[in-house]
Amino acid sequence: MDDYQTEEESVEAAIGGNAYQHSRVNQWSTSVVEQCLSQLSKLGKPFKYIVTCIIMQKNGAGLQTASTCFWDNSTDGSCAVRWENKSMYCIVSVFGLAI
Amino acid sequence: MSDVAKDKSQKREKRTGKVSSEGSHGVKGNTRTKDSISTVSCLTELGHHDENIRMTVTMENTYQMGPHKRFPVPAVTDILKDVLVSYLQEEKYEVEWSQKMTKTICEVIRARVKDLMIPRYKTVVLVHIGQLNGQSMQMSSRCLWDASNDTFASYSFKNSSLFGVATVYAVYYE
Repeated sequence: MDDYQTEEESVEAAIGGNAYQHSRVNQWSTSVVEQCLSQLSKLGKPFKYIVTCIIMQKNGAGLQTASTCFWDNSTDGSCAVRWENKSMYCIVSVFGLAI
Repeated sequence: MSDVAKDKSQKREKRTGKVSSEGSHGVKGNTRTKDSISTVSCLTELGHHDENIRMTVTMENTYQMGPHKRFPVPAVTDILKDVLVSYLQEEKYEVEWSQKMTKTICEVIRARVKDLMIPRYKTVVLVHIGQLNGQSMQMSSRCLWDASNDTFASYSFKNSSLFGVATVYAVYYE
């Protein structure tokens, strides 16, 4: 899975340069995820994708995330991108499963 | 200054029964723009990856149009609820403890879903544990899959000092 570039660009394009606003965060996370997914589907590979996005305000709080998968190691993979600015964090993970 | 700990760990398991390959967590790139930082991390495989590509298993046609047994979403939601409540009920958020706990809960959930023995389904389990500190957050996900066969189950738990969210995605292997 080496299309982290796609993910990074999508995140940057969707929310880059914005401060955290509770009213808009729903719209942002939707747009991040949708852009990611549309870029991935344009690659035209025989994969099913799961894209997850977490946007969190910077408040000194801690967050732990873990994932475990039951799949075929030789054909499936995943990738995660962490992005932050002064007021929030954004974590996007992509899982690709071969059909 | 900030005691935010962001940890991501992922584990994989081979379905075919071959020896599972070692994975190492590597940071691929770090770009810095004017006021945002982004880090990319990808799991990389060592060693046996090339051999596995050459030895891809070609399966015979099963002539199966869809899953014989569907993924039981309510049963899995109950599993998630059960696991989260039992592990997190009276706990307080601590960095070291919650790092181990996320991984443990992940493994436990995956083992219990596997016990359900649903054939031809691949699963992805995600667990998030976070501190409650008055901050606001939004989690969302979108999937590109076959909506008639693939599904997900999710449960979130909260107590006075922390919250936990667990999600299981089930993807049918055609």
